[in-house]
Amino acid sequence: MNEVSMLMYLLSQRRNTFQIGATREEILKALNLTYKNKDIHFHDIIKNLADYLNPIGLHINFNPIDKHWYFNFDPELSNLISANPFQDKPKLAATLFSVLVASLTSTDAVKIGEIKKLRKKKGVLEDLKQLEKKGYLIINKDRNSVALTSLIGYQLDIQKLFSKLTLKLRKEKTKAD
Amino acid sequence: MTQYKDFSDDIKQKIYTIKAKLLDGQISLLDEDLVPIFDELRDSLNTLNINKYSKTYMEACELLDEKFRELVVLLNRLDEEKKFQEYLESEPSDKEILELIGDCWLQTFDLDYLSFDFLKESMEKLTHKISKPYQIQHPLQTRSKDKFILEVSKERFGQKMEEFFERIKEKLPCYFEELFENLPNQIEIYEKFVYILHLLQQGRLKYQKETKTVYL
Repeated sequence: MNEVSMLMYLLSQRRNTFQIGATREEILKALNLTYKNKDIHFHDIIKNLADYLNPIGLHINFNPIDKHWYFNFDPELSNLISANPFQDKPKLAATLFSVLVASLTSTDAVKIGEIKKLRKKKGVLEDLKQLEKKGYLIINKDRNSVALTSLIGYQLDIQKLFSKLTLKLRKEKTKAD
Repeated sequence: MTQYKDFSDDIKQKIYTIKAKLLDGQISLLDEDLVPIFDELRDSLNTLNINKYSKTYMEACELLDEKFRELVVLLNRLDEEKKFQEYLESEPSDKEILELIGDCWLQTFDLDYLSFDFLKESMEKLTHKISKPYQIQHPLQTRSKDKFILEVSKERFGQKMEEFFERIKEKLPCYFEELFENLPNQIEIYEKFVYILHLLQQGRLKYQKETKTVYL
């Protein structure tokens, strides 16, 4: 079994509802990379595999939430095949976005009251329950708070989203000035 | 006299390790202290190793530049996070948010049913097929007294062939196929075919290929 087949297996494995792929440590262990320059070799392997898979529309991605390396389809292809899980549910998407923004400014779990304050809409709790069912967050009833799971890190290009939002806000500000 | 000291490879290794960890998302440059790298460069620099050290110094500076960029991003982000909250407080419609997130979704590629055992088994089957090609076993050859492996009574064969020849004489000339008419099975057809071959070889029968005719 060569490096490519091993990486294909490790990076495509679904562990549970909100975990896919493998961490750097798991990959190094599986490939038996224990020597001094293993970090450099690790990145060469990832880069070479990415180049190898690019023609078939697969990319290698890194989930910053749980630090897992995993495969995703080319973003252009994702748009074609409607990867958006909230296509007909804008209310749920907006609530999830609110949780995401609130999580950025909080190091701990986000209070449900804070989400309600940001959303200013009815049925926030119901939305949160539905999002929990879908595996995006966990509700802590005792603390009355929510915490995002790692699922959103796999399914959403968070960096791209915030870049888009920043550009949008800058444009609006320029217009206002 | 200046003593030749060259720690550039060690320093480079430290820089590469930091870069690798950075790419991996394990560390942030803001948490990394780069001062020891520059101290080491300064303390071991002399006129003999200056050429080699200048390249290492440039790489260390690139890392420092990157650290400044991270700092700028962090400062901007601290401001942006507040702006994101302000954006939400401005009560954008759900549709607007959906459009904003719209093309940021990724379709993951995962296989929860492709087990490692299956991959291993497939690989073993493949390598098994490649490493063990079919072997042709040759039968043992033995020598008979008459130098023929198959010993057949010549008398009986000749007698049967003559009988067949007498029978078909009346039909001739005829088409080749007609000589096999009314034969009950493949064994009989084969037997008669062998007689015809012998008779052709002896010149007692003749065959015209164009018309597929057998004649005397």
